Amino acid sequence: METTPLPSPSPANHTFPPSVMDEIRQRAELGRYAIRGLGSRRAVPSFDDLTLLTAGASRYPLEGYRETCVTRTVLGARNAAEPIVLDIPVTIGGMSFGALSANAKEALGRAATAVGTSTTTGDGGMTPEERQSSKTLVYQCLPSRYGFDPDALRAADAVEVVLGQGAKPGGGGMLLGQKVGPRVAAMRTLPEGVDQRSASRHPDWMGPDDLRIKIEELREATDWRIPVYVKLGATRVDHDVRLAVAAGADVVVVDGMQGGTAATQDVFIEHTGIPTLAAVRQASDALADMGVLGEVQLIVSGGIRSGADVAKALALGADAVSIGVASLVALGCNAPSYPGEDGAPVDVTGDYLPLAAAPGSCTGCHTGLCPVGIATQDPALERRLDPQIGADRVANYLRALAMETTMLARACGKADVHHLEPEDLVALTVEAAAMARVPLAGTSWIPGAAP
Amino acid sequence: MVTLMPGYERLSNAELVLDRDKLTLREVNRALRSLPPGGRARVVNPRGRHNLAVGLDADVAVDIDGPAGYYVGGLGKHATVTVHGRAGWGVGENLMSGSVHVLGDAGQSVASSAHGGTVVVAGDCSLRTAISLKGATVVVAGDVGGYCAFMAQAGTVLVGGDTGPALGDSLYEAVIYVAGRVKSLGTDARIEELRSEDVALVRSLAEAHDLDHIDPENVTRVASARELYHFDTHRAGSY
Amino acid sequence: MCGIVGLHLRDRGLHARLGTLLSDMLGRIAERGPDSAGIGLYGDTATGAGQPAYTAGDFTVYKGVGPPAGVAASIDLARRTGHQGLAHTRMATESAVTAAHCHPFTPGGDLALVHNGSFANHATIRRALVRDGVRFDTDNDSEVAAHFIASSLADGDNLEKALGKVCETFDGFFTLLATTATQFAVVRDVVGGKPLLIAETEAYVAVASEYRALAGLPGIDTARVFEPAPEEVHLWSR
Repeated sequence: METTPLPSPSPANHTFPPSVMDEIRQRAELGRYAIRGLGSRRAVPSFDDLTLLTAGASRYPLEGYRETCVTRTVLGARNAAEPIVLDIPVTIGGMSFGALSANAKEALGRAATAVGTSTTTGDGGMTPEERQSSKTLVYQCLPSRYGFDPDALRAADAVEVVLGQGAKPGGGGMLLGQKVGPRVAAMRTLPEGVDQRSASRHPDWMGPDDLRIKIEELREATDWRIPVYVKLGATRVDHDVRLAVAAGADVVVVDGMQGGTAATQDVFIEHTGIPTLAAVRQASDALADMGVLGEVQLIVSGGIRSGADVAKALALGADAVSIGVASLVALGCNAPSYPGEDGAPVDVTGDYLPLAAAPGSCTGCHTGLCPVGIATQDPALERRLDPQIGADRVANYLRALAMETTMLARACGKADVHHLEPEDLVALTVEAAAMARVPLAGTSWIPGAAP
Repeated sequence: MVTLMPGYERLSNAELVLDRDKLTLREVNRALRSLPPGGRARVVNPRGRHNLAVGLDADVAVDIDGPAGYYVGGLGKHATVTVHGRAGWGVGENLMSGSVHVLGDAGQSVASSAHGGTVVVAGDCSLRTAISLKGATVVVAGDVGGYCAFMAQAGTVLVGGDTGPALGDSLYEAVIYVAGRVKSLGTDARIEELRSEDVALVRSLAEAHDLDHIDPENVTRVASARELYHFDTHRAGSY
Repeated sequence: MCGIVGLHLRDRGLHARLGTLLSDMLGRIAERGPDSAGIGLYGDTATGAGQPAYTAGDFTVYKGVGPPAGVAASIDLARRTGHQGLAHTRMATESAVTAAHCHPFTPGGDLALVHNGSFANHATIRRALVRDGVRFDTDNDSEVAAHFIASSLADGDNLEKALGKVCETFDGFFTLLATTATQFAVVRDVVGGKPLLIAETEAYVAVASEYRALAGLPGIDTARVFEPAPEEVHLWSR
C-alpha cells in the first residue's frame, strides 16, 4: 500500500519568522509604520542575567521582621524646601490621563497613597482626581506642554522635566483619535478625535545650557519648594546624566529600552535606547564621577517586575525604581477577566480579538479598546475597572515588591535596602557582566575592565 | 519713601521698587509675589537677566526698567508685566491670563504654549513666535522670524509686519493674521478669505494696542488646512 | 554646551580696553559654562601672566580649566589689548574637561572657532578629514568644524562660503563664531537651536549667546541689536 510521505519539518527561518512576515503584511496594508503599546518585547540583557550573592560563611543575613531593613527613601533634598519622602523605593512612573482611563489613574493614586509612595502625571496634565487620590504627585513638564498649568505646578510635590522616555527616546507623545474624547481633548487643547501630533523637543529651550535657565524658572515659580527631576530615555547615558546634573537636576530619572508606552511605532520601541541593566550602571558611575552621589538621586525604570529587579537596580546604584507596565498588569492588564459587581470574574477573552490578541499577548493600548478598562476612554469599558479593587491589587503588588526587596537585602546582610552594592552581584552571561561591570559568576572576570 | 534694606524700597503699602543689582532673583520674585491685588512694582537694573516676574498670581502691575532675559512674565496669571526694553526667549511662556508687554524686540518662542491672556511685542520677534500656542492672544507690531505659530493649537496671532519662512507649520486651530508679507507657509497652513468677523477682531486688537500701521481689511488670514489631523499613509513627507 | 562672546573693535580708541570688555562679557554668562574657558586675542600688545596655548603672529590664545572668572584673572585678561577677541566658556558634553578641549580651536594660522551647541554627524566628517591628512588634537566635535573650515579655506573658499558649507554638511544645533586677523563671522544652524545676539555700533560689533553679556558694553542702549536668521552668515572685515 502506498502512502504519501509527510514533509519533513522545515528549519526555523530566523530572518523571516512568521511574526516578521505578519509585520511586513501589516505595513503593506497600512502604508505606514505599525503602532502599539507596552515596551520592548525582544530578549535583551536584563536583571534576569544577574544573581545576588547572599549570605554564607563570609557574610551573615539579617533575620526577617525583628531585624529591620529600612526602605525609607528621600529624593531631592539638595535644593527643595520639601523633598520627596517615600516609604518604599518603588514609585509609579509617568502615564497620562488619556493613555489611561480616569479610573486607572485613580486606582494608581490610591494604591500609592496606601503604600506611601508617589505617582506621576503624564502627557496631558494633572487631573483634580489624581491630585486628590495621590498623596505624593510628581508633575511632568513635557515637550507638548499639554495642559501644563502653574496652578498644577504649585500643587505638585515635584516637577519632572521630560527629555524622553525609554520606549522612544527622541520621540514625542502619541495618542490616536479614538482616545481623544471630550475630556482629553479639552485638557490638551485639541479638537476631539484628531490623531495627536506631538513635539519631540521642548518649545522654549534646547540644550542643557538653556535647560538650566528653564529649571531656574520652575524653581522660582514654586519658590524653591519642590524637587526638580529630569527624565531621560536611556541612550548616551553617561553624557546625558552629566548634562542633566550640570543643568540643575535634583533627581535624574533614566528609563531603559524595555520601558513601556501606550502608543509608539514598533520600530522605535524595539530599536532605540539601551537596556535598563546597562543604563543604571552608566548613570550611577556618571554621578559618582561627578562627585554628586548622595546629593543627586537616581531613579531607574524600564521593565521592573519583581523585588529581585528592585534589589539589583539598587545594588547597581539606583536610589529608587519606577514601575509602569507592571503596575498596569497588577491592575488587570492582559487578564482574561475583570472582577464583576458580585466579585465573580467576568470573562473577556473574546474582547481581545478585535485587538488581534489574546490575554497575555496584548499590546493594543493604542486602540482604546482595552478589555479591562485601563487604557481606554470608552466609558463602557472604563466601568470594568473599579478604582478601589484596582487600588487594592496595585497596593498589594507594591507591598509584595517591597517585601521581596527587603528579604533579598537582609539575605545580603543589609540593614537598609540602599546599602546594597555592586559587590552583591555577579552575572550569568558575559554581556550582563560587561554591562553591569560585575564579575561573571564563578570567576573574577569583568569583561572590558582593566585587570 | 522708606528704604528697608539695600535694593528694596517700599513707596507705599502696595508699591515697590526693587533693584536687581542688589537683590537676588529669589528676593525680587518673592517681593513681587507679596504684592496685594492692585499693587505695583518697578524692577530696576535688570540688565537682561532671566526669570523676572515668573509665576505671578495676582492682579498686579510690574514694570521692568530695562532689558529682560528669558521667560519674563512666564507662567503668569492676572498680572500685567511691562518690559521697558528688549526681552529674551520665552516671553510670557505658558501665560494663563493677564498680559506681558515688551517695548522692544523679543527673542525666540514668544508666548510659547500660552493658554490665555495677551502677549504684546512692540518691536520684532525672532524664531518660533507663538510656538505650541494654546489659546492666548499674541500681538507683534513688527516682523516675526521663521516658524511663527509652529504647532499652534488655539488662540490668535496678529503680525503687524512681515513673517519669516514656514508660517503656521503643523497648525491646529490657532489663527494667524499678517499685515505685511508672508515669506512662505508651513506644512498644512493655508491662506483663507478674510471674513467680517476677522476684520472686526483685527481692528479691535490693532486699536487696543495703538497699531495704526495695520489696516484690518488688508491682512492675510492663515489657518490650518486640517489635512494632518489623521495619520495618513501618503503624507509621510509631511511628518 | 556653553556660552560664546566676541568683540570686533572698529574704534581704535577701544583697543586698549579689549581685555576689560571681553572679561566683563564672559563673566556675565559664566553659568552657561562653568567647567573651563578659552580666550583668543588679535593684536594684544600687553604683557602679563599666563602662557598662551597657541600663538600665530599677533594672535594669541589662552585656555584654562575652572570658572571663567578665574581663568580670566590668571591671564590678566583685564589688562590685555587688541582689535578683536573671542571667548568661550564651556559645559563639557562629549569629551573630557581639560584645557586642551577648550575653545577656541585653532586649526592653523590665525583662524579661530568657538561653538555653542552639538553636532550630530561629526564623526564621519572627522574621518574624511583624517583621510585627507588632517591631524586632530582632541576628540571634540567642535574641532571637526574648525578643521573643516580650514580645509575649505585652503581649497580657495572665502570664510563666508566655508561657513555656508558647514551649514550644508553638518547636522545638529550650532552657533559658530569664526575669526581671522581680518575677519569676524557668525552663522547659526537651520533650526536656530542655540541662541545668538549681535550688537552693532559705529565703534564695535559684539556677539554673545545672551543679551546679558552685552549689557555692559559702551553705547549698548543705542546699539542695533538683532538675532541673525538661521543659515545667514554675517561677516565683518577690517
